[in-house]
Parts: sequence; structure tokens; C-alpha cells
Amino acid sequence: MAPLIEIKNLNTRFFTADGVVKAVNDVSYSMESGEILGVVGESGCGKSVHALSMMQLIPDPPGKITGGEVWFEGHDLLELDEREMRKVRGRDIAMIFQDPMSSLNPVFTVGHQIVEALRIHTDLTKKEARERAGELLTLVGIPGAKTRLDDYPHQFSGGMRQRAMIAMGLSCMPKLLIADEPTTALDVTIQAQIIDLVKNLQQELGMAIMWITHDLGVVAEMAERINVMYAGSIIESGKVNDIYKQTRHPYTIGLLGSLPRLDDPPGTELTAIPGLPPDLLALPEGCAFAARCAYRTEKCVAEKPSLVEVDGSDHIVSCWHWEEIAGKQANE
Amino acid sequence: MTNITSEEIIETDYAIREHRSLWIDAWQRLISSKTALLGMFIVTVFVVSSVGAHFFWEYEPKKDLDYSLKLKPPTLVANEEVPSVHLFGTDKLGRDIFRRVVHGGWNSLRVGIVAVGISLILGGTIGLISGFYENMNMTSMELITLFGVTGFSLGLLSAWIAGQPIQAFLLAGLGVVAAAFPEFQKDKPTRMLIFAAAGGILLAVPALSVSKTTALICGLYGVLSGMLISRALDGNFFSSTMMRFMDIILSFPGYLLAIAIVAFLGPGLEKGMIAIGIVGIPVYARLTRSAVLSVIQKEYILAAQSVGEGHGRILFHHLMPNILSPVIVQTTMGLAAAILSAAALGFLGLGAIPPEPEWGAMLGDSYRYLASGAWWAVLFPGIAIMLSVLGFNLLGDGLRDALDPKLRT
Amino acid sequence: MNDESTHLMDDESTPLVEVYNLKKYFPVTGGFFRRKIGDVKAVDDVSFQLFRGETLGLVGETGCGKTTVGRTLLRLYKPTSGQIIFDGEDLTALGEEELRKKRSRMQMIFQDPYASLNPRMTVGNIIGAPLDVHRSMSSKERHDYIQGLLDIVGLNPDFVNRYPHEFSGGQRQRIGIARALALEPDLVVCDEPISSLDVSIQAQVVNLLEELQKQIGLTYIFIAHDLSMVRHISDRIAVMYLGKIVELADRDDIYLHSLHPYTQALMSAVPIPDPDLANKRNRIILEGDIPSPKNPPKGCNFSTRCPIAQDRCFSEEPEFREIKKDHWVACHFAEDSL
Repeated sequence: MAPLIEIKNLNTRFFTADGVVKAVNDVSYSMESGEILGVVGESGCGKSVHALSMMQLIPDPPGKITGGEVWFEGHDLLELDEREMRKVRGRDIAMIFQDPMSSLNPVFTVGHQIVEALRIHTDLTKKEARERAGELLTLVGIPGAKTRLDDYPHQFSGGMRQRAMIAMGLSCMPKLLIADEPTTALDVTIQAQIIDLVKNLQQELGMAIMWITHDLGVVAEMAERINVMYAGSIIESGKVNDIYKQTRHPYTIGLLGSLPRLDDPPGTELTAIPGLPPDLLALPEGCAFAARCAYRTEKCVAEKPSLVEVDGSDHIVSCWHWEEIAGKQANE
Repeated sequence: MTNITSEEIIETDYAIREHRSLWIDAWQRLISSKTALLGMFIVTVFVVSSVGAHFFWEYEPKKDLDYSLKLKPPTLVANEEVPSVHLFGTDKLGRDIFRRVVHGGWNSLRVGIVAVGISLILGGTIGLISGFYENMNMTSMELITLFGVTGFSLGLLSAWIAGQPIQAFLLAGLGVVAAAFPEFQKDKPTRMLIFAAAGGILLAVPALSVSKTTALICGLYGVLSGMLISRALDGNFFSSTMMRFMDIILSFPGYLLAIAIVAFLGPGLEKGMIAIGIVGIPVYARLTRSAVLSVIQKEYILAAQSVGEGHGRILFHHLMPNILSPVIVQTTMGLAAAILSAAALGFLGLGAIPPEPEWGAMLGDSYRYLASGAWWAVLFPGIAIMLSVLGFNLLGDGLRDALDPKLRT
Repeated sequence: MNDESTHLMDDESTPLVEVYNLKKYFPVTGGFFRRKIGDVKAVDDVSFQLFRGETLGLVGETGCGKTTVGRTLLRLYKPTSGQIIFDGEDLTALGEEELRKKRSRMQMIFQDPYASLNPRMTVGNIIGAPLDVHRSMSSKERHDYIQGLLDIVGLNPDFVNRYPHEFSGGQRQRIGIARALALEPDLVVCDEPISSLDVSIQAQVVNLLEELQKQIGLTYIFIAHDLSMVRHISDRIAVMYLGKIVELADRDDIYLHSLHPYTQALMSAVPIPDPDLANKRNRIILEGDIPSPKNPPKGCNFSTRCPIAQDRCFSEEPEFREIKKDHWVACHFAEDSL
């Protein structure tokens, strides 16, 4: 079956006074219908920027999508002009963000904003749209939805606002929902509620979800597949179990090793990854992670590794020495 | 395959950016803007010509008079009719306009600097202290000072009524006592009663030597003042009071207020400077207060407190360097506004006393001759005003962009 | 790491810090004359002890008051009531000058690496500020001392004349740590020191903090909302909810034998980076939102969201009591979970 969305060689640059920032470098992957994909990485790895690039939401200037194709339903999204793109946004692909306080317009009621979204993309009358908005708020678990339609964003708590955002995102039944760090700003117990909600909604409505986050704990519960990004490129990708249990890239290994776990035996040491993430203004020629990697060789510094398959499966990794490293890990 | 040890990796831990001083950064941004450069150029020409003229090109306005040259158009070469060169022509008293424009610059520059200086120092201090004590608890010494000053200020009114300066000091003393015993009957009505009574007595008794009515008035006023002094005054009280005074000043239209002050103080450029300075105080007070409020929330201020740094040190080391940016921008724009205000006053015949050269006054002298064709007498002083104001505004805009922290990653 | 953690009282039988019934209320003003119309009960009757050399973790969600506890402990806020005894002396009774002197023994590390350093001061002056206030050193002594501190925290000592904006978040946090250590304090309050940092840098900073504790013998209060990290670094943990401590116990007791329903719900909500466990876990999903500290519920603070709440919980506040040795809980039905 053809994938829902296929991204080929996406490249995004930011042209600033200090130089050219290589934010997204040769990113390629695809998503199936109804799949939950986790995109994981730290700040500056390009996870948010690549999603915004897909939706052509990069401010130009200073940003520019310098190459690549994004195939969705037979069209290359990057070739569409602004008018056509607006039809896709919200209706076929919806996006929700980290801070609902700034993504919801504080001077309009929540109901108004959902109705607006509905009326742009569908033929519903105002009355019908309002009904539907009430249904949506109930769907996302906001009690007393009908009356809450007339409340303003500041009258909702953080968790409720995020639910309202999700309602807005789902209003037109998109095929793909992109969630950019949706629970990062929420308390742990509220985060658990939202994750639960999204999992249930996904089962009910069947849309694909791209969950972007830096939290490896959250994606472990949510995702079926994971893309790990570093310095603008995907450095490891695979099914959830492969990534956590058969980790192959030294960065991912290091990252998992530096996380404390609630079920760790007492006295477990955290193995920190030394050094700093690379400067996107001056990415090295070779592997971007080489400077911090305990296993680096001259080849790593000189040549950027390509993505290769691990054991002929859909688990891919971009590292010259992954096999030797795997061998060492097995022996430890 | 060789493993790199983590010690070697730590050495690649670098400071992520080249070492650049913050000011050099800002300077480079400033000179990269063409309009800012233009503004800088104009301002430099203005300042250099004004200062140079004042010190090196003698001019005695009282002796400058030649009716034979009355209202002559600009001449570049001396000829029969007009035996001297007058680049900008002459005015109604035959004076060389070019010379007066250049010297007028010196007066405008002085007005700008003194007026803005008054506004900045007085307004800035008020704003700084208001913003600071809104967020910081006052030490006991500071509280004593606050109460004392409050008492003194309150006392001034009744001192004026009774003509007895000592009344101000008496209330100041009452304030100090109130501050020194903050726990005495705290939150109880007895405290208010005691201080009210004390206030009434303290002010009424000396006033008895004037007249019974005065004593009554002062006594009542003392009771009210005592009630105020008994309350737990704090930084918020000071700030609110100061800001309300600022609001009062702001509620008058600027020029009208300046005119009223000049009418009160008398004519002369110096009085004009004071008037313009006073009118500008609230602007700087509000500006510095809001700048202080935004900086004081930052954690490095809290860190300074946790280290045990005193208020003085926090104010000078931490606050002031970080509120410079908006103040610098406002000062530059403020100079433009001051020059314009001085010209307005001069035009109306207030401000500079004739025959002092002052652009606004020159306009005021000459505009009635426009109808008879003497355009030069109006154009050149007008252009001088316009260019100098433009120059400072452009420079101020450029500074705002250069110092804007949002542009710094 | 700290297996011997719970028995660090070997050299001192008296705790370094004792907090009794600490309250910090912030007034809420309203109306035309800005009268006080209520209180935000940020810290509402908190009591605990802190022993030398240990790390006490303070966890909780928004509005629980953990940051306020940290700051009030250092007298950065004036307590509304209660006592703070530091090494035998009551901090709440000290005058301004004496308090200032005490400050050299207790320092703080702040959350935001971008806002906690004065952008207009050099790194050397930022770290040296405490020295200027409390010690008199010659210029050379000061310079050498500061370079030594930079070295201890793993930064290149040549960076003394650089400005904060030239450093990354993790490096700035190290500068903040160096500043906190300048006066060789006994107690360091770490207020969410790693929340703003990237995941791969968090471990670096935490390892540094642990290393320093071992080398210098520091006592930490570690305030955070990341339960996994708090569990890693702490010897004992206090769980706070809406201004009160709901449970205080040894690290392992809290994680394996928690007695308060909120603690249990909190544990189950923390994501674990392991897909197998993630799906097998018994999740307790709490209903509703966290109430506002301006308007806490009557009776037990947690009653509105508690899965085992009963009538008594809505009218009677539970007492914070020692249910078993060194394990304190504030719940009417704590015995049921034993």
C-alpha cells in the first residue's frame, strides 16, 4: 500500500547575519496511514523545523526550503502555492503545538476558533459548525462542553487548553496530525491524561500521528515507529522495540544511558554524553556526532555516514561502525 | 579502531561563540543601517558646528545690527548693493542669518542637553527607585528614610500655611518615630489614634503663635497626616504616590505646561530649559520604572540577593547596566523633542531673550515678512530645526534596533 | 551511588536544617484601593528535617510550592509563620545584618541558565560577586580562586573574561554552580537546575553535582518535577501537593512502598523509556485539574482528585504523621496501604 506521506531529501536552511544555519539536512522517510510515528531529538536537531517545512510554514526570509519533495496524496506539497497549501493545512494535515496559550487566540472564545476552522474547510452552516464544535470538545474530554464553547482560552487550565487545541486540530478529521511537543509544558499527571486521550482518539478515528518530542519516555508509550534526529538528520529509525532494545547508534545508546529510570536499581550511574551539540552554522564534513562519540575513527570525522539497514529490516542507522559497536555492547 | 577517551572529548568543550563585547556588537549593528548612519552624520555636523562656533567664531548679538542690510536675499558674492557675503541672507535687523543659525545651534544644543539632563536625572531616579522598591523589601534604615521624607513632605504644606518651617521637621520626626517602632500596636486602631493625636498636637502648638484659626487648620491637617504616617508604608506606597504625581504632570499638554512654567519663572533660555526638563520628567520615570520591572524579575537579581548583596550594589551593578538600552534610545529621541520644544517656546517669544540667536525666535521674528517675499528668513532656521530633529530621531531609531535584545540570539 | 545514604547522620545527631510549620502566603489584592482580598497559600504548614551530607528531593507539580519552600528556606522570602533552624540558629529571628552573614553558608542554583546570570557581567565577576561581599581577598587571590572554581565545575579557566551569552545552557548552569560554591556553603538549594537543559546535558550536570557532593561534603535540597531524576539523586524524597507535604520518606520507600494516593498516581504517570513496561504498567489516571493555590479544596487538598476519597476527606484535613519509622504521610487512610 502506498504510504500516506513520503518525504524525500528534505533540506531547509536559515540565512542569518551570522551565516547559513543548516537546520534540516537530507531527511527522507515515509509514514503509513494510521501509523503513530515518534520523532525524537534535542533542541536544534531539526525535529520541529522539518515538520514546519513539510507544511510550508517556514518564514521566508530568513528560512528557505532548499530541496526535497513531500509526497502527500499524489501531490508534492512543496510545489503547491500558498492557496492550495491552505486547503491542505487544517483539513488533511493538522498541527498542534507546545504552548496552547500562544496557539489559541486570547481574544476569541474557544468555540469561535473551532467554528472558524470548521467553516474554512467544510460546508457546515454556523449552527451546524457550533454543534460539531460542542461534540468535539466532548470527544476530547472537556466536561460541560456546550457551555465551555463560550469561554476564553485564559479561562481554561493548561491541560484543558491542550485538549481544546487537539479538538481544533481534529475538527476536520485530518489524515495526519502533527503534534509538536504537545505535553512538554504540562504537569506529569496532566501529561498522562493527554497521552491517554490521544491514544484513544487515534484508535477511534484512525488518523496518523507524528509525535515530536525530546522525551524518550513519552514516545515509548505512544509510538509504533521512531525517528531519532541529530543535527538536522535522521541518525536512527525503526520500530519502537528495535530502538529501545536493539539500539545501534552511539548517540541513541548514549541518550538512553543518560536517562534515569524509575525502575533503575539503586546506585545506577548515569553515563553522560560529553561535549556539546554541534553548531548548525558550522556542521562538520563527516559525522555530526563524531566529536562526542567514544567510538570515533578518522573515517567518521572525514566522511558523513549514510543510512544503512540493520539485519535487512526496516531498522536503519547512520553510523560506520554500528556492527562493531553492537558486538561490543553484546559482550558487556 | 581506537577509542577516544572522554578526557580528550572534554577538551573540545568550547565557548560557543567568538568573544565579542556586547557594545561592539551593538555598534556594528548600528553602523550597518544606512538611516542610522545618516542620523549620526547629521548629529555630528550639528554638534561640531555648534560647539566650534561657540568657542571659535565670536558673536555678540547685542552689537549685531545694520539697518542698511535689512532683509536682503542670500548673496554668495559681495556686490555693490550688498557689500558682504550672506549665505542665508539677512533678517529684519540686517543680521546675517547664516551666522545666527550656526550660533543658534549652540543654544539649541544647550537646551537639549540641560532639559533632557533634568528629565533623565530626576525622572530616571524616581522611576528607578519606584520600580526597585515595588519588588524589594526595604531595610529598616530605608524605611526610616521613607517615613521621614514622607513626614517632611506632608509637613511642607502646613509649614507654608503657617509660615513656620519647623512644622515640616516635626512631622518628619513623627515619621521617623513611626518607622522605628513598626510593631507598636501594629494593625490596631490604637496606633492610628495615637499618631493622629500626636500629629495634631505637633502641628497645632507651634501654630498657636500665629493665630487660633491657623492652629486649628494645622491641627486638623496634622491629625490626617498622623493617620497616614501610622500606616505600614512601603515601597508600593512610594511608587504609587510618585507615579500619580507623574500622571498629574502628564495630564497637562506638554507645551502648555512648559509655557505656564516659563510664565511663572520668567523669560530666558535657562528658564526655558528648566520648563522643558520638568515636562519631560514623567516620560523618563515611566520608562525607567518599566525597564526596572522587567529586569528585576530575572533570576540573577534573586541570585544577587541570595549571595547577600546589598541594595546599593544590586542597583548599580545589576540593575543599571541592564536598563541602559531603552534609556539611551529615549534620551536620543528626547533631545530631538527638547530642541523642538525650545523652538516652540522661542517662536512664542518665551525662552530665549532677544537678541540671543535661537531658531524658534528667529522664526517668530521673521514669519510676518514671508508675505513680502523674504523666504530666506523663515526657510533656513526652519530647515535647521527640521534637520537637527530628524538627525536625532534617525539616530534614536537606529540605536533602538542596534540595542534590541531580540536581535541577539 | 548513595547506598549508605540513609545513615549519614553518623557524625551529627542534630540535623543541619529543621523546618517547623513553615507557612508562606502571598496576598492577593483587588478592587479599587488594592485591598487584600485573599491569600495564595503557596506553602501551607510544611515541616521537615535535613541532615548533613544528604540530598532531599522535593517534588510536585504546578502550584505545589516546592520552589517557594526553597526560597523561603534561604530567607529570600519572609515566612508568614513558622521556624527555620539552620545549624541550631533560628533564621526567622535574625536581624538583617546577621542574616546576611549567614547567607555565605547557604546558596542556591537557579532554574533558568539564561536569566540567572547578569548578561552585562563577565563570568569572573559573576562568580566573584559573593567573594566581594563576604571576603576580602587580594586581586590575585581572587583571580586564582575563581579560576579554581571554574576548573572544579569542568569549564576552561581561561573563560573568566567572557560574557554569559557566549556559552551554552549547560555551561551557564555550571557557571551558576561555581557561583554557588564560591563561599564554600554547607547547604545548596538546587531549584530545578536541569529542567531547562537538553536531555544529554542533564546527565552531565547531575553527575557534576553528585561528584561535588562527594568531594566537598555538600547538603542538597533538590527541587524538581522530573521524578526519575529526583529518584536518581536523592536519599530522601518529599512529595508536595498544593502547599503541603503529602509524603516524606526514604527514596526506596517512596518508590516501592508509597502510602499516599497522590504519590502512587504520580509514580504511575511518569513515562519510562521502555516500551514493554510502558504498556504493562498499571496506570492511575487522575481526573480533573490541579486546583489553584488561591482556592484550595476544603478538607484534604487532594480530595477533589483522589481515587479513594471518602466523606471524611472532604471535611477534615489529614494530619502529617509518622506512620512508620522515617516515613511520614498526610492521609486519613494511609494505614490501608501498609
